[in-house]
Amino acid sequence: MVHPGSALWLLKHEVRMYFFNSSASKSTNSKRGFNKRALISFGILFLGMHGLAYLLLKGLPVASEPPHQLVVIVTLAMGALMTMMMSSGLKASVEVLFERGDLDLLLSSPLPTHSIFVVRLAGITIGVSSLYLFFLAPFAHMGLALGHFRLLGIYPAILSMAVLAASLSMLLTLALVRLLGVRRTRVVAQILGALSGALIFLLSQTQSKAMRGTGSWFSNFFGPLMEPGALLGPASPFWLPGQGALGSLVPALLLSAIGIGTFVLTARFTHRFFVHGVQQAVSAVRVSKAPAGGMRFHFGRSLPHGIIVKEWRLIARDPNLISQVLLQLLYMLPICFLVISDGKPSLPGIGASLAFLCGSLTASLGWIIISAEEAPDLLSAAPARMATIRRAKLAAVVLPTMAIVLLPLLWLATRNPLSAGLMLLLLLAATLSAALIVMWCGRPAARGDFKTRGKANLLGTILEVLALVGWAGVSFLLLSIAEQPVASLPFLIGAGVAAGCTITVLAVAYGFRYRPG
Amino acid sequence: MTDHDPALRLTALSKSFGRPAVDKLDLTIHRGELYALLGPNGAGKTTTLRMVAGLLAPDAGKVEVFGVDLASDPAGAKQKLAYLPDDPMLYAKLKPTEYLEFVAGLWGISAAEAEPRARRLLEWLDLAKHAHELTEGFSRGMKQKLALAGALIHEPELLILDEPLTGLDAAAARQVKDLLQEHVAKGGTVILTTHILEVAERLAQRIGIIQHGRLIEEGTLDELRARSHGGSLEDVFLHLTGQP
Repeated sequence: MVHPGSALWLLKHEVRMYFFNSSASKSTNSKRGFNKRALISFGILFLGMHGLAYLLLKGLPVASEPPHQLVVIVTLAMGALMTMMMSSGLKASVEVLFERGDLDLLLSSPLPTHSIFVVRLAGITIGVSSLYLFFLAPFAHMGLALGHFRLLGIYPAILSMAVLAASLSMLLTLALVRLLGVRRTRVVAQILGALSGALIFLLSQTQSKAMRGTGSWFSNFFGPLMEPGALLGPASPFWLPGQGALGSLVPALLLSAIGIGTFVLTARFTHRFFVHGVQQAVSAVRVSKAPAGGMRFHFGRSLPHGIIVKEWRLIARDPNLISQVLLQLLYMLPICFLVISDGKPSLPGIGASLAFLCGSLTASLGWIIISAEEAPDLLSAAPARMATIRRAKLAAVVLPTMAIVLLPLLWLATRNPLSAGLMLLLLLAATLSAALIVMWCGRPAARGDFKTRGKANLLGTILEVLALVGWAGVSFLLLSIAEQPVASLPFLIGAGVAAGCTITVLAVAYGFRYRPG
Repeated sequence: MTDHDPALRLTALSKSFGRPAVDKLDLTIHRGELYALLGPNGAGKTTTLRMVAGLLAPDAGKVEVFGVDLASDPAGAKQKLAYLPDDPMLYAKLKPTEYLEFVAGLWGISAAEAEPRARRLLEWLDLAKHAHELTEGFSRGMKQKLALAGALIHEPELLILDEPLTGLDAAAARQVKDLLQEHVAKGGTVILTTHILEVAERLAQRIGIIQHGRLIEEGTLDELRARSHGGSLEDVFLHLTGQP
């Protein structure tokens, strides 16, 4: 029984809030957090992980000292985990400082402010470490059962990394508040969080795709550095995290000491700023300087022009949203590498990739502009024709994407006008299809739900992907014909079939179009 | 449409969300009148106003705005009215000037007409000094006043307000009340819902009380008092709605 008002009681609340916020969209009324069914499912999965760990560890010989190669791999994996933990930590710091909105309540309560900050930091640590412990702790448990005692090092390794990530995230967020103010900190921290999560992904893709064939360069460069006695040799402190995770006592103790030390120092030296500085910054009224010359108006725009300007302004002033859109595109790049990296980059490959990427960008913009309209009642209450408003919104969705690809298309037009013209038409088809599917199948949503838009409207997302894959296929086949007219008939038939399928997808989207009640 | 048509006529208006929200409601509001529509929570006030504003399609019945049937000529009817819900219809990342430009565009107002109106409204509502700031940083009262400026930019003949004074401080509430009275003095028509009965008592020429989607009583304050054997509007309201 936890005593109400104690630090442990507050920590329980903190952890519950962390999982509530990470488990579901904030704008829906869906059940949040853990219900009984979810807990049972997690329990079964956790037991299943133990079974998997048992099977994997059963045949392994018990080693007294882990080989250095394994230490290197584990250290690099921990580096990757650390970037992901930093990403979660930054998001959680922004959440607990600015978005949850319970600081006033907590700070006005009789709880000591130091406890509130320590608990908040501990809550982030638990939240950050939970996912990794969920998947890795079974290996420690089964290791213990099978005599691989060294695997118990997983616990101090994960926990100390989580403490480090939570402390650094909190320190970075508080430092940003001091430097930039609350509003910009929220944006910058969210972007940094997203980028640090994407960093490891980008590195892996760059290594495996873009830098193919340069492996020898890596080995030439790093080989000597990893020789015994060199900077990154087996005795280098650089490999301490891996050694600690693999159960070496001194590195494990060192990792734990670093984690605890960072936590204590963060709590000790930043708690005062947390209590006064953040609250003051949040409450501060930001008054920007009025421009000289008084109010300036730009009345007299046509309705479509006015709608396009309004939509672009709203997006341009939301860097967090822009970063999320760009990150989504970033995660799609490997799909394009698959087409391009098969030998040299080819025009059909580039065309197919562009069709897919442009369609995806348009779909994201479409969701923001059409589904996440902030004042739908204002538009409905206006005497303007809804068809005019929809057309203007479609233009606002499609034009930015087409503007981005215009320059490469112009470059291509100077070399291969036929292919450039064909690519323009295909990109237009892909972007328009994506925009129309969002317009027909989109559901009203809040902009803050951008990241969960796929889950919220599964049918729309599936149709979107099918249409984009279809247009990518048509682009690949038609541009292949434009490049090599030889043996074009099978390509032409293939393009016809792909175009037919894509148009069918569009027809299905129209058939399932959303009709508000 | 003639000069004799009332500002608003609702005929057997009905809307159901599983259970009837508005039930065969008949209501006539005359030109140049400030009409307060009162009722307990869930009585159907907001649903009625949303149907009048064209935001909800009625299940049955007719809405006529200055004689123009909302169903057959929605653009014609909407051109004459403005709707202001209790949750202002704003864009967080637009500045007040940009918001007014957009709203004026929706109602097709020319620059020559819109600009002086926008200046006057922003000055009068004390928003001119915040004209260069994004509305996301505005207080509830400032947002409500900006939404009101947006509602007035096309000089609507019929102004529909759902709880217009919610969250406003005394000064802002006074400004809004003055503005409504001025609108009516110029020949405009106002329909408002409010839970602050003193507002209805002081401002409204006629008061309608709605319950379970039906108009249960209507008249001037004196008429309502007489029918309910005297007392304040609060007494009358509680007596008619059967609340303790």
